[in-house]
Amino acid sequence: MSEEQKQAQSAPAPAREGGDAPRREGGHSAGPRREGGPGGGRREGGPGGPGGPGGPGGARRGKRQYFRKKKVCKFCVEKMDFIDYKRADILAQFVQERGKILPRRMTGVCARHQRWLGVAIKRARNIALLPFAGSAAGVQAPRAIEAPKG
Amino acid sequence: MEERLYDLIFIARPATPEEEIKKVIHTLETAVAEKGGKIEKTEHWGTRKLAYKVAKHREGIYIYQQVRTNHGELVHELERRLGVQDSVIKYQTVRLDEELKRQKKLSQKREARAARRPRRITQPVPGAEQQASASK
Repeated sequence: MSEEQKQAQSAPAPAREGGDAPRREGGHSAGPRREGGPGGGRREGGPGGPGGPGGPGGARRGKRQYFRKKKVCKFCVEKMDFIDYKRADILAQFVQERGKILPRRMTGVCARHQRWLGVAIKRARNIALLPFAGSAAGVQAPRAIEAPKG
Repeated sequence: MEERLYDLIFIARPATPEEEIKKVIHTLETAVAEKGGKIEKTEHWGTRKLAYKVAKHREGIYIYQQVRTNHGELVHELERRLGVQDSVIKYQTVRLDEELKRQKKLSQKREARAARRPRRITQPVPGAEQQASASK
């Protein structure tokens, strides 16, 4: 009996997937706007409607499942208002193995900090603290050494 | 004229002797003093591995300076002097004062907002918070 109830509860799930196909084209243009909280929140509210609210949330990513890193922006958490381009060790976390800047959806960074991050990474690249292309593994932040000067 | 703050980083060839670097720093200091500015700090980051080959070198000696000035042309002059030096292979100047101003404004806003909200004595963990509201 309980199994039947469970199946009845999961009935909206096939309906959600059924609504995916026609909605895919329509949801595509609205995709980027659903990046933030509403995308994830709507997913949980899916079983409430017969595939209506669940449709746009799933149509965004046709190929892969919409597993989103629900991480918060690392810089917002640490309240870092100034992303220092000299801290290559911090910046290296947001750079791929090949040296490319990671997209926001991978790292969970908020839009504002992603912009500043891009600026900082490009400055660091100019001064050879980060590579333009190639592995950024093992970069350390430059530390002032106690060199006797003058 | 408002005060401007600049970050100046330059990279010298890896085998450059200490006196040579001191000479370069001295040249910069002279230029700064001529045009009416102040070097806030100078840091010697030592020999560091470069992320890519610069002038066929894989390592370089990094020098970092912070310059405060009212004259924007000073930067032009500093970069010109650095470009002339043989031992300097790369340099970069970044203007920082606007960003620091914005950072200060943001942090002040954040503090003002936090002060306005009644602060709780205990900092509840989000999971515990839900349990507390559910039990109510």
